[in-house]
Amino acid sequence: MNEMDDVFAPATQQWVPVSAKLALARRLVLLVVLLPLAVVGVVVALVAGVPGWVPAAVAVVALGVGVWLWWLIGRRVRSYGYSERADDLLVTSGILFRRLVVVPYGRMQLVDVVAGPIDRALGITTVQLHTAAATTDAAIPGLPPDEAAALRDRLAAVGEQRSAGL
Amino acid sequence: MWVSVLRSIPVLLGVLVVFAVQVGGNLPGVGGSGLSRLLPVGAGLLLVGLVLSALGSYLSWSRREYWFDESGDLRVDSGVLTRQQRRLALSRLQSVDVHQPLLARIVGMAEVRVEVAGAGDSRVVLQYLTETEARALRAEVLARAAGLRPDAGTAPEQVLVTVPTRDLVVSLLLSSTTLVGALATAAIVTAAVMSEGAVGLLGLLLTGGLPLLAAFNQFVRFFGFTLAESPDGLRLRSGLTSTRTQTVPPGRVHAIEVTEPVLWRRLGWVRVQLTLAGSPGSSDQDENATSGVLLPVAPVAVARAVVDRVLPGVGSREFAWESAPARARQRAPIQWRELGVAVNPDVVATRRGRLVRRLAVVPHARTQSVHLTQGPWERLLGLASLRVDTAPGPVSVVGLRLDARAARRAVDEAATQARRARAASGPQRWMSPTSQVDALPQEPPTG
Repeated sequence: MNEMDDVFAPATQQWVPVSAKLALARRLVLLVVLLPLAVVGVVVALVAGVPGWVPAAVAVVALGVGVWLWWLIGRRVRSYGYSERADDLLVTSGILFRRLVVVPYGRMQLVDVVAGPIDRALGITTVQLHTAAATTDAAIPGLPPDEAAALRDRLAAVGEQRSAGL
Repeated sequence: MWVSVLRSIPVLLGVLVVFAVQVGGNLPGVGGSGLSRLLPVGAGLLLVGLVLSALGSYLSWSRREYWFDESGDLRVDSGVLTRQQRRLALSRLQSVDVHQPLLARIVGMAEVRVEVAGAGDSRVVLQYLTETEARALRAEVLARAAGLRPDAGTAPEQVLVTVPTRDLVVSLLLSSTTLVGALATAAIVTAAVMSEGAVGLLGLLLTGGLPLLAAFNQFVRFFGFTLAESPDGLRLRSGLTSTRTQTVPPGRVHAIEVTEPVLWRRLGWVRVQLTLAGSPGSSDQDENATSGVLLPVAPVAVARAVVDRVLPGVGSREFAWESAPARARQRAPIQWRELGVAVNPDVVATRRGRLVRRLAVVPHARTQSVHLTQGPWERLLGLASLRVDTAPGPVSVVGLRLDARAARRAVDEAATQARRARAASGPQRWMSPTSQVDALPQEPPTG
């Protein structure tokens, strides 16, 4: 699999990884969704008076899925990375479905910095790049606010320098 | 200085009123006891409705002004209750349309649509102009956008292609929707004959009617399609009942796609579509808006010549295709032979599709960003797909199921070439000398 990895590697330098707090944020969301579901499942099974092994099975399955997703989130977050090259920004992500996006600085129309309530509590933000193409999907989640602001300012400056007409 | 167009609206109003009065006057003579008493009421309501809507149009027309400001941009102030002031940067002009709906055509009027690059609603529609005013406005917009004197007049044009009515009809009848409709119709008729029950025949309305309606719609739209070239850019003209003339300035084409449906292949016909940086989605919702069709149907050789005019050197040259490897068959069993990507010094080209072959081309100077993706199944086979993002439009440039390394090379090459092309990109005002262009904010000197 190493052979395939360098297909998605940046040409010259290393990927800059995102903060591990992103994994925490996503795991919190996972808990918020999964826990009530599991509880409701078990309670319904108990009330309905089905044999005792059914609620136990439900709980085990929920736990299994939870653990798997927990582990997957960690891997997914580690797969995020960006790399600033001389003329373009590279963004990568994904494990099952891998993705590499090349966004030239001269094509950036605007840069968003967004943070939801959980993100804010944990101190991470998402930097989102927009070009004239609606299909450009270049978001870098899980950046510390300072890094995000610095990146945004660098991108804005270099984008202005190199901006080209449509 | 704003242009007054006071003379034109009363004409339209008059025609409407006369028409309504005639309808209202004739109807009571139809006869029948209960109906004859109701009809005048209905006609009266119709008349009131017509007068009210005409009044509304009149108000919105009388409150509209348009002029060119000192920096040469088009300004439009409009609205009765809510006033809107809009300024269109002509350096970002994408297309100018003169559109004549049937009724407007009868009374000699037209509307002008000016579209600039931008997301969302990035155009103005100026309705209720006389034909002369519409032409003059179009000429002035194009002249100013080109960086010429405002009174330069209409540029001469040279007709490149006209689509014969026979070809259009045949091509529409051979389209896949009509074919599916015909097959479904045949199936229903067979079933009805076999079972001797006629209920299923109602389905004919759907299977036979809808495709015919769609084909007829296209026929009305592309009737008499003419493609002409002028220093202003490409002129696209078509329409049976309502006519539309679109002008696309040079270098505004973001991507081109040549499609070849399976049924057209024996006739050697293709359709050519293009993407402009206009309002995304507007072409789907508004049937009068530009459709993104450069040629509804044409022989391959003609299409190549036209593509060559739009993107010089693309139509005639053969691409050095990087085709999908044979193992791509496991991921794309039907179309794997058709898949490929080519990056040459001017453009990125991709091809795909078995039933409908699609060749998509984007000039490096118009590339927005480049995606490389790989799903689990592709990863197992050592494949990857790429997509070149362009301004929203009908064309999508995707190279599917390629060898992973080759795809990555193509992505890097596309990114490098795009950078080179941006640095060397042409002037925004296409007729003015480059030195002047450097002073414009949209086009700072590139290093």
